[in-house]
Amino acid sequence: MASVTLDRINKTYENGFHAVQDLSIDIADGEFIVLVGPSGCGKSTALRMVAGLEDISSGTLKIGDRVVNTLSPKDRDIAMVFQSYALYPHMTVGDNISYGLRIRKMEKSEIQRRVAKAADMLELTPLLDRKPKQLSGGQRQRVAMGRAIVREPQVFLMDEPLSNLDAKLRVQMRAEIGEVQQNLNVTTLYVTHDQVEAMTMGDRVVVLKAGLLMQIGVPQFLYDNPANVFVAGFIGSPPMNMGMGRLGRNGDDYTVQLGASTLTLAPALLAAKPALKNRVGDEVIVGLRSEDMEDASMRPDATETLSAHVTLTEALGSEIVVHFETDITRVVTEDTKLLKEESGAADVADVTPDDRTSWVASFTPRSRVRRRDDVKVVVDTERLHFFDATTSLAINT
Amino acid sequence: MSRTTGSTPVTATSAATGDDGPAFLGSAQGSWFKRSGWRHLVAVVAVFFAVFPILFLVSAALNPLGTLAASTLIPTGASFNNFNRLFNETDYWRWLLNSLIIGVVSTVASIFVSACAAYAFSRFRFKGRRAGLLAVLLIQMFPVFLALVSLYLIFATITDLWPAIGFNTPWSLIILGLGGALGGTTWLIKGFLDTIPKDLDESATVDGATHAQIFFGIIFPLITPIIAITGLLAFIGSISEFLIASIFLTEPSKKTVAVGLYGMVSNERNANFGMFAAGAIITAIPIVLLFQYLQKYIVGGLTAGAVKG
Repeated sequence: MASVTLDRINKTYENGFHAVQDLSIDIADGEFIVLVGPSGCGKSTALRMVAGLEDISSGTLKIGDRVVNTLSPKDRDIAMVFQSYALYPHMTVGDNISYGLRIRKMEKSEIQRRVAKAADMLELTPLLDRKPKQLSGGQRQRVAMGRAIVREPQVFLMDEPLSNLDAKLRVQMRAEIGEVQQNLNVTTLYVTHDQVEAMTMGDRVVVLKAGLLMQIGVPQFLYDNPANVFVAGFIGSPPMNMGMGRLGRNGDDYTVQLGASTLTLAPALLAAKPALKNRVGDEVIVGLRSEDMEDASMRPDATETLSAHVTLTEALGSEIVVHFETDITRVVTEDTKLLKEESGAADVADVTPDDRTSWVASFTPRSRVRRRDDVKVVVDTERLHFFDATTSLAINT
Repeated sequence: MSRTTGSTPVTATSAATGDDGPAFLGSAQGSWFKRSGWRHLVAVVAVFFAVFPILFLVSAALNPLGTLAASTLIPTGASFNNFNRLFNETDYWRWLLNSLIIGVVSTVASIFVSACAAYAFSRFRFKGRRAGLLAVLLIQMFPVFLALVSLYLIFATITDLWPAIGFNTPWSLIILGLGGALGGTTWLIKGFLDTIPKDLDESATVDGATHAQIFFGIIFPLITPIIAITGLLAFIGSISEFLIASIFLTEPSKKTVAVGLYGMVSNERNANFGMFAAGAIITAIPIVLLFQYLQKYIVGGLTAGAVKG
């Protein structure tokens, strides 16, 4: 058990590709850290540098108090779970799990004790004599976990360990891994591209984009206070709705113009983000979570509304997810393009910038909104997010 | 469409699309010969084609006259005379032993060296990797004739300095055999290694294994099919190697089977093809046995289940 410290870690490949740039993370002992980001963001590279499978171009990597930059993987006291599981196909499950211990010439009785314990924990005991190819995907995944557990390492490294499983099993294994990690209390670095995994599993989440650290924090903080447009669009399902707005002033009230609607900012919001007062007249990117909107017919006294044309409703029982078009100008930045590619939306629809902006809101199930309705949407103006239009950074002060 | 739906009645529209009428899957259609009999015929022809030369060889070996002109498929007056003469009048067993020693040692050694080289080429990135791979391939393209003169000169000097590995020793051929099979074998094994997921190496690395432990403990058991095949090819190549052996091995007791047998038929007026055939049959036995033994390793799919679900 140990803390892990990444201090301005860089990875530059021979062809000049800068995969990881000045990454600094302090990971506490026993913490579960999730590295998340779209493909090619350097999250796997960062993990492999901690594992010792990739050289560190510059920076300092510490596990506990030891600088391990130049240590070989076996001397770092880490265990890794691979996306492909990488089970040794010619060995039985038991041999697979004990391989790392046998290589280290550990005593037979101790090996047996540890394998039995891990197998018991992962419910692999009846499978110990099987070969990997006789196992199901979930069982293979557990063997890979077992191989890491028996080593009793200081740090677990997991590289997208669940992405080869089907959706149902993934949810189950997600909980199982979380439980195992909490029982053993081993510092864990977990890489995933799935923000749901990141939100549900991580003590803290590290969001990366193109080798750069975007934001680091506990999941709820990232959700409530995204540092920039990228994090806002990446964390959360559905992602945060965004549109171009203009800040204005009406007497004592501060307003934001969204399309044809003008919303008055809540005093609490202004108190939390006084910098907005100095930006009157500026064009800003406005963000709004789906749950911070409601069907206006459910709140007859509400004044702050947007007009919407409903294109799709999805009744989930506990809520109705409503997709609607607005007259708000779409946000087009490098980040939104990247997010679109990542979500696969770019493959489905050919959307032009002057097209109408599509937002997603979740309404109470009592809402009677139907497809093709023109409705009013109430906005919780206390929960609006603002980002600088040029830098994409959140206006949080 | 509906042609494959079994017992579903054929609708008018789909029947119109098929010009040869409806055919139902799994139902007996046509005669036995049309369905599977022709396969048997092809197999019989193929077997005959493959076995015929062997039958002729056996016939020649049993033919006491020892000439090819007198050989017929069913020999008249079959006897083991040729085998008797082969064992009593020549150094045949000695030759066979020489061949086996050279074959086994050079095969094992060259496959080992090739596998190690292939592993390095497949897994490591180092300066000169590409050049090395190309060189190994290009050198393989030149026929052995080109090197014959220089090899002779080299080994003439070696024989003067260290007769133990010079002419008329198995070591000279073993050393040559080591280099001979290296190029192609290295490429074949490297190609196979490239299909073995690198995750396995990395997983073992993190588990604490050294490169040698990974190679021998994890990777080698997974590449047995290609090791078996390349080993078999190298062994057969070594047993039937004639050109260099005929020049390097001149003493009767040092000859290999290939050189020794050739001696029996090289004399035009006194060629004894009966003994030659007898010797050839016995030579084939170890190769067939080896093939039988390796067969269980020559199965792919061993890596199935290593990765993914």
